Amino acid sequence: MTAFNADWSLMTPEIVLAVLALTVFTIDFTTGIRGKKPFIGTLSVISLLVTIVLVVIFNQTPGTIGSTFVVDPFAMLFKIVILLGVALVIVNSMSYLDKHDDMYQGEFYSLLLFAALGAMLMVSSADLITLFIGLEILSISSYCLAGFRKHQAKSTEAALKYVILGGTASAFILYGMSFMYGLTGSTSLLEIGAAMPTLYAQYPFLIMMSLFFMVAGLGFKISIVPFHMWAPDVYEGAPTPITGFLTAVSKVAGFAIMIRILAVGFGGIYDQWYFVIAVIAALTMIVGNTVALVQTNIKRLMAYSGIAQAGYLLVPLAALLNIHISLSMIVYYAFAYVFMTLGAFAIISYVTEKENDEEISSFAGLYRRSPFLAHSMTVFLVSMAGLPITAGFVGKVYIFLGVMTSQMVWLAVIMIVTSTISFFYYFGIIKQMYMRAPKEEDSMLKAPTSISLIVTISLIGTFGLALFANMLTNYMNGLNWIIL
Amino acid sequence: MIPNILTLLVFLPLLGALIVLTIPNEHKNVIRSIAGITSFVTLIISIIVWSNFNRGLSGMQFAENYTWIDLGFVSFNYELGVDGLSMPLLVLTTIVTFLAVVASVTIKDRVKEYFVWMLILLTGMLGVFVALDMFLFFLFFELTLIPMFFIIGIWGGKEREYAAFKFLIYTGLGSALMLIAFFAMFYQGAMASGQPTLNFLALAEIYGNPAYAGMISNAFKAGLFLTLFIAFAVKLPIFPFHTWLPDAHVQAPTAASMILAGVLLKMGAYGLLRVGFGILPDQAANFAYLIAILGVVNIIYGALLALVQKDLKKLVAYSSISHMGIVLLGAASFTTSGMQGAIFQLVSHGFIAALLFFMVGAIYERTHTRMIEELGGLSKTIPILAGFLLAAAMASVGLPGMSGFVSEFLAFMGIFWASPDVIPAAKTIAVIAALGIILTAAYLLWAMQRTTFGQLHQSHAHLEDARPIEYVPMVCLLGLIILIGVYPAILGDVINTTVIDIVSKIGG
Repeated sequence: MTAFNADWSLMTPEIVLAVLALTVFTIDFTTGIRGKKPFIGTLSVISLLVTIVLVVIFNQTPGTIGSTFVVDPFAMLFKIVILLGVALVIVNSMSYLDKHDDMYQGEFYSLLLFAALGAMLMVSSADLITLFIGLEILSISSYCLAGFRKHQAKSTEAALKYVILGGTASAFILYGMSFMYGLTGSTSLLEIGAAMPTLYAQYPFLIMMSLFFMVAGLGFKISIVPFHMWAPDVYEGAPTPITGFLTAVSKVAGFAIMIRILAVGFGGIYDQWYFVIAVIAALTMIVGNTVALVQTNIKRLMAYSGIAQAGYLLVPLAALLNIHISLSMIVYYAFAYVFMTLGAFAIISYVTEKENDEEISSFAGLYRRSPFLAHSMTVFLVSMAGLPITAGFVGKVYIFLGVMTSQMVWLAVIMIVTSTISFFYYFGIIKQMYMRAPKEEDSMLKAPTSISLIVTISLIGTFGLALFANMLTNYMNGLNWIIL
Repeated sequence: MIPNILTLLVFLPLLGALIVLTIPNEHKNVIRSIAGITSFVTLIISIIVWSNFNRGLSGMQFAENYTWIDLGFVSFNYELGVDGLSMPLLVLTTIVTFLAVVASVTIKDRVKEYFVWMLILLTGMLGVFVALDMFLFFLFFELTLIPMFFIIGIWGGKEREYAAFKFLIYTGLGSALMLIAFFAMFYQGAMASGQPTLNFLALAEIYGNPAYAGMISNAFKAGLFLTLFIAFAVKLPIFPFHTWLPDAHVQAPTAASMILAGVLLKMGAYGLLRVGFGILPDQAANFAYLIAILGVVNIIYGALLALVQKDLKKLVAYSSISHMGIVLLGAASFTTSGMQGAIFQLVSHGFIAALLFFMVGAIYERTHTRMIEELGGLSKTIPILAGFLLAAAMASVGLPGMSGFVSEFLAFMGIFWASPDVIPAAKTIAVIAALGIILTAAYLLWAMQRTTFGQLHQSHAHLEDARPIEYVPMVCLLGLIILIGVYPAILGDVINTTVIDIVSKIGG
């Protein structure tokens, strides 16, 4: 077996994170299940930061363990995005958890750590089995997290919906995988990819079935149209920091794996599927952006906005003319996306908690109550809308350029027009903050340190990625993205 | 000469905005002074650039060039420069904005925020006029959107939110089209020549090079030009893409109206001339007939609508639409004098519209009404303000000795003598367009007769006349209008070389 003499050090970050997650879990047990435990949150954040450092150290040089676990720049960058995202989610959760006594803090943090672990495994897997294990670790943690406010009907409903539909999606993915295994006798993505062109010539129907089931299943997970129906309900019901986690981190991880499957497994028959992906991308952008227009609940609005954003991320995948360029676009946008979404969610969770109201009108007059939060929220929204000097703008232009060069002008046009439509709802929130008076009883808001911290980091990320885009793109230009 | 003076010019207001941000809200006068000083220093720098501008030289001056974001297959560069087209608009921007900042003393609410947006807006506008890279140009173009949205939406009139959103969506869609056209242009240019570039000048060379004609078909160029035309038509604004403008103008606070009419509309015209005419001169000539007709439609349609307005500010807004038609007409003629007229009109209208909006704002502040029928006899209570209003209206009508006259004269002469190859029925068009002058005289004189003269409204018997600070914008703007009117060469010698360059591209 090659796996025994393989370089296991490549997996150091995952192993360390697993150990740390179990440690957090154990400490939680020994300190009693209830009560405020800020130190566990801090510990979890430190664990994630340590893991980021380990990823940078141990994943610098590409390598594989057997043919199941692969470390390449693609995996490394996505791991950094994911870990950073989870760390931001935990910081955001701290003040939220302190206000809700019905939520067991230690459990919450360790579930998030396990979710991060699952996502890391996912992005590094080059084998259908590893992939599925990673996916399920992430999914099951997410189901629990979505229903974490167990005494609230909406939260329970969200969890139930999520677990049933998510389970169905997993079944779809497995079913799709079984075709692959049946045809090739292998679960290795690399072997599947190598056999793909000849297989397709022999069994085009089976291959397309397999592809369809996998795309449908993964499409559920990352909420792209037409598999997005669950998302608004689940996002609305889940605790707000978790909504941020689902829209940002979980989605990015899902994307990573979808890319790897499509690029490595089905790369050989790109001509057969790119158009389907392009149509899905177009639908996702159109539906997400237009349905968002009529939302009044901010979490639902962000859910549809997240669907629309997933559409933008799909565009480079459809225009996979040059995989290296497409991947740099996706990774760049993923970084931008995590910063702006989590920054926005930090503010959303704080404001909606304070107001005890999730309508957009709860943002009325935020400018007078907390200029810092209002200005920051504006930056995040403007970035999501894709306006200048923000990461969202550069990311979108980058993707847009790529699509133009792959000659799918219609897709580029849809992307730009739907982005313009999105001005309407993003600026609708801005309107509330600056142009509406706050409610009578509203007082000044003093954001807790954790919220200020995460907002500041996200601001730096949103501006920094735009102004110093060169550093990231230069780095990515030199990468050999996928080694397996 | 200061190195990197254009960068300094563009980003100085942004620096001012950052300084304003650090001042506590309650020090309103400190905030106002910083904004005033910043915009004044920006004005001084632009005048330094103006005076060091080499009149005889063709091509870009004060050029700066750095690689910014390298994406592997293309890089977005930081490239700046000015030529005879951008130079006057640059100075126009700094002058109008400085005066608008002075005129903003009437803003009492949320002062800090207001001036921060003003200064960011200034950076965006200046950036548009000096950027030579498409991406950079687009970035600055979009950057002007957000401050204007806030300024209209927060400090505007009763329907401010509606107007702000309408402005955002209309001009946003215009920008979207522009982006699509830009990258189509980039892509086809790169495919044809093998050198991916987003630089305006380099693209102009590629698109003008007959060697690449095989890859860049005429149909493609035509589509490109039309897309660009519509994109910039929204901002300019050209019928039928103009409907956002009256709403935005009427709702916007005085200073914002001054900037909107004085500078923002010019960005549309500048884009059309720089990108449309600059890179695709043959297509511009192909569509010159259409452009000229649209110009006439704008002139007549805008004037007719102005004629029936009851609101003085709306009247001025529609007159802007009418006057922008003259720009189209002059540019479409593809004659030296027509092109000169177009650029003259941009600058001249910038000053005149700013003055008109300032006067309307000052009168509204005192009388709390903009309805023409309620404004009779103003010359009896506020003779100085009424006098300046009358002078501004006269300039707008195109009274000889004022800038409007020079611009219209040049533009009409251009269209009259346009080559029949470019515009078949040029003389007919010129005659129809000239009717617009009569209409302009009609609506403005009639409006003046009903506001400054006639029966004095009882509630307006005791109004305060011009305050000292109001003299600054009034005298400066009127002074500039007259200066250009009696000594047009001050503008002419800066723009001539570039005008000849543009016109010579089609052998006119």
